[in-house]
Amino acid sequence: MLPRRIYQFFLIYLLGLLVLLALKYGLRLSDYVIPGLESLWQTLCEVLPRYAADVWDTLQVAVIGQVLSIILALVIGILGRKTTWFGNFIKAAAYNVQAYPIVALAPIIFILLGDGFLSRLLIAAMICYFPILLTVLGVMSEPVADVEHFYRSTGRMRWQLEVKIRAFENLHKLTTVIAGSATLAMAGTIVAEFIAANAGIGYSIRIALYQSDLARILVALLLIGICLSVYQGLLEYSGSLVKKAWTGSA
Amino acid sequence: MQIECRNISYRYASESEPIFENLSLCYDQPGFHALFGPSGVGKTTLAKILWGAIQPSEGNVTKGRIKTVLYTYNLERLPDWSTTGRHLEKVTPSGKDDLRQELVDIFDVRRCLGQRFGGLSLGQQNRVNLVRYLLQDFDLLIMDESLANVDEKTRETILMHLKRLFKARMFIYISHNLVEVAKFCKKIAVLRSGAKKPRVVWTSGQDLQLGGELQQGQVERTMLEIMNAA
Repeated sequence: MLPRRIYQFFLIYLLGLLVLLALKYGLRLSDYVIPGLESLWQTLCEVLPRYAADVWDTLQVAVIGQVLSIILALVIGILGRKTTWFGNFIKAAAYNVQAYPIVALAPIIFILLGDGFLSRLLIAAMICYFPILLTVLGVMSEPVADVEHFYRSTGRMRWQLEVKIRAFENLHKLTTVIAGSATLAMAGTIVAEFIAANAGIGYSIRIALYQSDLARILVALLLIGICLSVYQGLLEYSGSLVKKAWTGSA
Repeated sequence: MQIECRNISYRYASESEPIFENLSLCYDQPGFHALFGPSGVGKTTLAKILWGAIQPSEGNVTKGRIKTVLYTYNLERLPDWSTTGRHLEKVTPSGKDDLRQELVDIFDVRRCLGQRFGGLSLGQQNRVNLVRYLLQDFDLLIMDESLANVDEKTRETILMHLKRLFKARMFIYISHNLVEVAKFCKKIAVLRSGAKKPRVVWTSGQDLQLGGELQQGQVERTMLEIMNAA
């Protein structure tokens, strides 16, 4: 699972690189526009330690943001699963808010909270929160009649059991959205850094952009891709372990 | 002990015609009774009205001395997060461990106890599901195709012992198996399609008990009556 993700990323990255090189040599573009392989290698050797630290910094923010989103989405999803006014309000609000591009709110957050850690965390959490919330709400508000019938008719149904049944029956859906939201959390953090933060790989990309240094941007993309592939692979692996432990089969 | 529907009417929101109109029906004694009828005639709807999950638009259901009604059907599942044995233990009320052991043997599901529900055959699943209902406190148990996919011999054993163990309780057995209904059930309500009047025709089955002698002639007569009524 993990090696496959990294291998797939390398394949896509190499394809992208080949397209750029084809453009460079086909249109006879200078190294200033699209760097050659030698220039790329030199840049990689030069910025690798610093960019690796930046990606690690970004990943930490993304992971914390994602964990916060998962916890919040689970709490709100569980509270909003009922067809009460509160449940309906939560669902309507979630569907409407998720239709809005959250990243457009980033400037407000930077104005209010400055360009530090908290702003990056908040934007990362906000961007990956709504997809998780919608999935949790969908899963938790859909009764599993064939399983729940016995517990309801014999008066054994408690909210904890209801949540457990629905989570168990939709385990694949939940693990998939959690693994998928890692990309969103990472994207949210990078976008936040790109807009106004003072740390992280997004910030480094912004500086490289101002210098029109495509080689640095390509190195940053390589490191982001490797890091995200490893993280997603680990999430998928953890998901499969949870499934195996809970269902007895992978 | 009796359960009675008086002049009930009910129409599904998606349908233009009511499924029941002024339908009356009464099971008035403990024992193993049947609700028989062709597919789509409304047996499950009627069962759900008797159980209380569906409220008729007109008429009422009275339950004389019946406090707890349970309804079970053949598509129910146990959660797959632990073994069926563990699930059965968890839903066994205190003091009913011996009954659980006895039912496990009668239903021939002992070897299923170490497995998860999803790994069982359909027949085994239905048997395990029925065992957990029989462990509960109930006055009336409505069994909607609960023994589907169970082989004839095991089904016969189960029904015989069920009648022995729960003499004071009432069962309403919904099945499409004509022979089984005629052989094992006491009162048989044949629910007919909407165009036929009356909607319910009653007949008596042999109500065969454990160790009792099968009256082939009576069973055949009952089967004919049911066939004619349906």
